Amino acid sequence: MSLNRRVRCLAMAAFVLVSAPSMLFAQPGAFGGGYGPPLKVVPPPRAFASSEEHYKYLLAQAKGGTKHTISSVPRWDGLWVTAGNTHMDIFIDPPGFSGKVREGVLTPLYEKAYKERWRQQTELGEVQYDRLTHCEPVGYPRWLLEPYSHEFVNLPQESYFINDFGPAIRRIYIGQEHKNVYGTHSWFGDTIGFWDGQKLVTNTKYLLPADFTRWSPMTSNQFESVETWELKQYPGGVERLEVQVTFYDRYAFVKPVNAVYAWKRGTDLEKAGHRVQHWECETSNNDVFDKGTTTSKLPGEQGFKDARGSTLFPDLPGQSRDPIYNTTLPGEKK
Amino acid sequence: MKTALRVPLAVLVAAFLMSAVAFAHHSFAMFDRSVEKVITGTVTRWQFNSPHSWLYITVKNPDGTETLWSFEGAAPPQILPRGVTGTSFVPGTTVTVSYCPMKDGRPAGGLGWVRLANGMYLNPADGGCDGSDKAIEKWKAWMAAGYTSSADALKGK
Repeated sequence: MSLNRRVRCLAMAAFVLVSAPSMLFAQPGAFGGGYGPPLKVVPPPRAFASSEEHYKYLLAQAKGGTKHTISSVPRWDGLWVTAGNTHMDIFIDPPGFSGKVREGVLTPLYEKAYKERWRQQTELGEVQYDRLTHCEPVGYPRWLLEPYSHEFVNLPQESYFINDFGPAIRRIYIGQEHKNVYGTHSWFGDTIGFWDGQKLVTNTKYLLPADFTRWSPMTSNQFESVETWELKQYPGGVERLEVQVTFYDRYAFVKPVNAVYAWKRGTDLEKAGHRVQHWECETSNNDVFDKGTTTSKLPGEQGFKDARGSTLFPDLPGQSRDPIYNTTLPGEKK
Repeated sequence: MKTALRVPLAVLVAAFLMSAVAFAHHSFAMFDRSVEKVITGTVTRWQFNSPHSWLYITVKNPDGTETLWSFEGAAPPQILPRGVTGTSFVPGTTVTVSYCPMKDGRPAGGLGWVRLANGMYLNPADGGCDGSDKAIEKWKAWMAAGYTSSADALKGK
């Protein structure tokens, strides 16, 4: 085995880990190793022409949904971390990370684009660039598998689903119709929902083009979803927040696809004292796209962003963004 | 030679598999992850920011000049559970750092583990290099033998 091949193997090993956070209880599937029993995709009861038709069917089945009060609405308080998903099973044939792009799932142009991403991942060990590197928001569907921490705040009229990458906040408007008065689409679109007992069913529309991850397919501005969220308990004290999702995208998918994502309680993060903070991507990110690949700007180089330097008013006292240690890097005003 | 290579590489792979999630918001294409090195210097700044932490250390060169080295680590939420906080690497203190160097040769790299002046090891690594317990144990033996590069250690130079 050549050294390059070894490096590729190493990168793939890291990639498997990335695709399947929380490997402590690895599952037998090619991807989606997570916490607790294997994740099982539950497809919709029948095919639907659109996400809206799907959502309305589920709403009718739930007889208009459960009207929760502040005391009865399901509580998913605290920090949560990703605990596996199956989204890569949609796009890659067995045996998993060494498999090939499954043909006929994506439309021809999206399939061609994805094959290039997958080629980079498998041959070079890295997709050469990630759109998040220039601080593009995570967007949806990528929100579903971003790591770090999540918070799920349910109120009777609205739910706030937060990922600390950004932070990236999804708002679910309970019992409402879709609205879009902005004349465009957005990173998290417009999400409406209803409660079916302890399950939360949502419909998301009006999204901007994004992706599942940098090693997964791109999505279009016609991407939509129907989600069913539920907190589930399993033997052995395993508690998992799961969402069954059907993704619709007439530009990217030949037909709608299904996946399940899971989260577990972030007790380690809570014990460590983690509090979700604003990410300072625009002011601190020094990773850039250059000559077809990713590289980093270093202190003193043109374009370097000093996240802990002074503000635009360095002559005023108290303008350092490093208030405890007051450090400076080369090229900075003291 | 083959066995000498195989064992540390297997350890490296296992270390990656056992390490925390390497899920950065960018590709690690700029780092040469086939090589690990260690270097000692004085902390200039520990920038415990999302989306990436950066450790800046000043290293004295053999000719008496100094070079600022920059090492990229993981986001705070990833490494807080590993015991790394915003006060772990105090400016002015001496640290030894393992890193995977930039492919273009600039004084920077993907951060692996960090050894504090009191001998304690911490793992602020992202996917850019390996800072796991297994990597630390491997390097303890290599450093005791005087190695500062995995390439030399694997060759037994």
